[in-house]
Amino acid sequence: MAVLGPGPARFWSGFTMVLLLLTGSSRTRDVLTGHNDTWREPSTATQEDHDPDPHNGTNSANHRKAFPVLAFNYGHVRKPFEISLWILLALLMKLGFHIIPRVSNIVPESCVLIFVGLLVGGVIKAMKEKAPVLDSKLFFLYLLPPIILDAGYFLPIRAFTENMGTILVFAVVGTLWNAFFIGGMMFAVCQIEAAQVSHVDLLSCLLFGSIISAVDPVAVLAVFEEIHINELLHILVFGESLLNDAVTVVLYHLFEEFSHAGTVTAGDAFLGVVSFFVVSLGGILAGIIYGVLGAFTSRFTSHSRVIEPLFVFLYSYMAYLSAEVFHLSGIMSLIACGVIMRPYVEANISHKSYTTIKYFLKMWSSVSETLIFIFLGVSTVEGPHNWNWIFVIFTLILCLLSRVLGVVGLTFIINKFRIVKLTKKDQFIVAYGGLRGAIAFSLGFLLTDNEMKHMFLTAIITVIFFTVFVQGMTIRPLVELLAVKRKKESKGSINEEIHTQFLDHLLTGIEDICGHYGHHHWKDKLNRFNKTYVKKWLIAGERYNEPQLISFYNKLEMKQALMLMESGSAAKLPAVSAQKIQPQREAAPQRTIPRIPKTREAEIRKILRANLQKAGQKLRSYSRHDLFMDPFEDDVTEFRFRRQRVEMERRMSHYLTVPAKRQETPSVRKVWFEPEHKVYTYDDSESPGGGAVQLKPRPSDTSLLDESPKSTDRSPTPQSEDQSERQKPSRCLSDPGPNEDEEGSSFFLS
Amino acid sequence: MGSSSSRLSNIPNGQELMQETGFSDAHLLRLYERFQFLDKDNKGHLRSEDFEAVRELSKNPIGDRIVEAFFLPGQETVDFPSFVRVLAHFRPKEKNRTREGAQQEPEPANSRNQKLKFAFRLYDRDRDGKISRVELLQVLREMLGMQVTEEQLQSIAERAIQEADLDKDDTISFDEFRKISFHADPHRNRTGEARACLLEGKQT
Repeated sequence: MAVLGPGPARFWSGFTMVLLLLTGSSRTRDVLTGHNDTWREPSTATQEDHDPDPHNGTNSANHRKAFPVLAFNYGHVRKPFEISLWILLALLMKLGFHIIPRVSNIVPESCVLIFVGLLVGGVIKAMKEKAPVLDSKLFFLYLLPPIILDAGYFLPIRAFTENMGTILVFAVVGTLWNAFFIGGMMFAVCQIEAAQVSHVDLLSCLLFGSIISAVDPVAVLAVFEEIHINELLHILVFGESLLNDAVTVVLYHLFEEFSHAGTVTAGDAFLGVVSFFVVSLGGILAGIIYGVLGAFTSRFTSHSRVIEPLFVFLYSYMAYLSAEVFHLSGIMSLIACGVIMRPYVEANISHKSYTTIKYFLKMWSSVSETLIFIFLGVSTVEGPHNWNWIFVIFTLILCLLSRVLGVVGLTFIINKFRIVKLTKKDQFIVAYGGLRGAIAFSLGFLLTDNEMKHMFLTAIITVIFFTVFVQGMTIRPLVELLAVKRKKESKGSINEEIHTQFLDHLLTGIEDICGHYGHHHWKDKLNRFNKTYVKKWLIAGERYNEPQLISFYNKLEMKQALMLMESGSAAKLPAVSAQKIQPQREAAPQRTIPRIPKTREAEIRKILRANLQKAGQKLRSYSRHDLFMDPFEDDVTEFRFRRQRVEMERRMSHYLTVPAKRQETPSVRKVWFEPEHKVYTYDDSESPGGGAVQLKPRPSDTSLLDESPKSTDRSPTPQSEDQSERQKPSRCLSDPGPNEDEEGSSFFLS
Repeated sequence: MGSSSSRLSNIPNGQELMQETGFSDAHLLRLYERFQFLDKDNKGHLRSEDFEAVRELSKNPIGDRIVEAFFLPGQETVDFPSFVRVLAHFRPKEKNRTREGAQQEPEPANSRNQKLKFAFRLYDRDRDGKISRVELLQVLREMLGMQVTEEQLQSIAERAIQEADLDKDDTISFDEFRKISFHADPHRNRTGEARACLLEGKQT
């Protein structure tokens, strides 16, 4: 390990200390509980009304002993202590992972975490302790929901619905094909004499096939997020991994029941099909119900902003749990809840709550993912294994084979219906990205304990390791080798938005003329229904009327204005736009305000653009768990922001002295818009750099002031525009409650 | 699938239309039936009132623009060939159509460029080749309706022109428009999605 410097070495020594503490604690516990027990019994016998806290055990039979100033009672806190220690360990691993940059470039995070888990498991085993295993209950109830909620809440809806057909075909038909193919072929393999596994019957094989056939969302997320693949492929693989949960649940329960019963009838098979629909649609329905409830609740939270995020989390978790009660698909329920809830909740809640939700979701999902992979490693070392060469090797080969065949075959059929066809490269990535993960392991763990189960588990773990390590590590160079299209960083542009909406209307219109009820027709109908009925119920105040374009535009403007002010290039853009707004009332493009010469304007714009680009387009090695370093969410920068706002206001007042005719409703709260997959690294080193550049346009700044003397008789619209623009930042940051809002607006009017 | 009385031979200039626009005969037949359905008085051509009879179109914010696009400048009626030619813009792109004659054109009607030109023409009502600020404002006003204030419209139009206008002439030319739309759907050829309209052929 000559590569490690002093930093990581210190870190690793710290880690081993933590490890030893963990195992040491579980050892000494045994000694201690015995001691405490003897202490406690006499005390409870003599004093019932005393607090049974062992620390007060002095009044026991051993009353000769002096009052213990310090007592050691580990059993009391053992469970939370160990849990916290494990989580801490997981997070320290994450830190360590990023300290060593060379590793993080080659190896995806999931691999390192599994490796660490293996190490930890090895250490624990060496100490002959019982390690915590990836218990299915722990996994399904506590570790999985945050990841799915995070994924579902921030799901790119447009891409998802546009490719819904393809995703569904891959998820349902693809998983079915995988399950039956693997199950059937494994049964054939088991008949080979040399394998000594001929006792495995068809149903068990099918059960095994159904467990291992499902693409795992956790693994897919972990690997795909780091390779920045284009949106289409990402949503295809990821969507498939989410939606195949219904199929997996049904198949799993089906085959488990059957393998206990022993035989399958045609009626059972039919019931199986019915149950699939019930499971998936029921799950979605449960999710929708809770989603609507959550949205409705958020309408009334304007006076208790602090608990708003909790509603989102709790309703979603309840949706998941309720679905699990009825053996419906919990994952689909969670996704549906997040998707339904999001647009309405975001319109209702405050900006800070939105930030809280975002950060908490990312935090929890990050911790969960880390823990899952570490536990996977630990369980591998721990679990009873039954290694059977033929079984395992054939499983592996069949998994790969069935995935490739499935993808190729399905794509052939799907491409007949798609507009943007899937190329061979796309197919390869989709097939290669079919990673298996912890869900398969947990499902296998739920099986009844027998020798077959151990063999299955061994095979499952091998497949998981193979997909995560081999496929996970090689997918990045392969993507680069094949020159697959990467994700385009698109700055949110107002033109794109206008154009997109325009196209939507256009295509809807053409469809209407043709008389066809197509994709756009129904989307339009849904939008209209949403606008007239649903929004009224679920969005507080007058906001429900706000067209999407307007909110989009407002968010863009605010983001830009704040970013400009932060970077120190101050009020150039608003000045320019304020100036330009004025004369356009008349049809003639004649301007009463003399324009600044085009060269100057171009200069200003170039500088603005440069600053915007610098601020907005720095990409670090991206991980889903990186948080946005938004400058305006920092309290420190808020101070600077207020100061600069005053400055901008002063400059604006030079232009416009006419009072506003109309004000926007002051209770409007604008919510932040951020493209989900964008990472900002905004460091303050920009400002000095930006400041140096800004010296040049300063003269033009004053010339702007000079050249606009006639602003007084201009229409009141620019003033209200600026006022509304100014008010928006205050509303954005002032939180919670209406009091600060008034303070903000009076601050301006003074 | 509609009245069986009309066959391909009934459609005037059916063969030439098929070659020109690239529609298959089944498609053309369906379009002809739709044309006849819209043409209530059996005049043989459509007027704008016939288009307005399509109920959904009246709710569409840019409905009248779309209707306008069917009419060649100065004309008040749309005959079947013009009808088909406009809709040809939305025909799905076929890879290896072995239709004689159709390949020889420099640019088939449903190429991306033609689709964009069509969309551009919808913005640019006075057909001067540029989208001026006024025209953009009109489009925005239609799309956003009564729910926004005039200042908001102005500032949006302002920003849109600022973003798109590269040669600083305060209007958006076709090239600039093309650049925008390229960013708007880099992976999805969304303007071709109305192919379903023609392939499925469900009629009211």
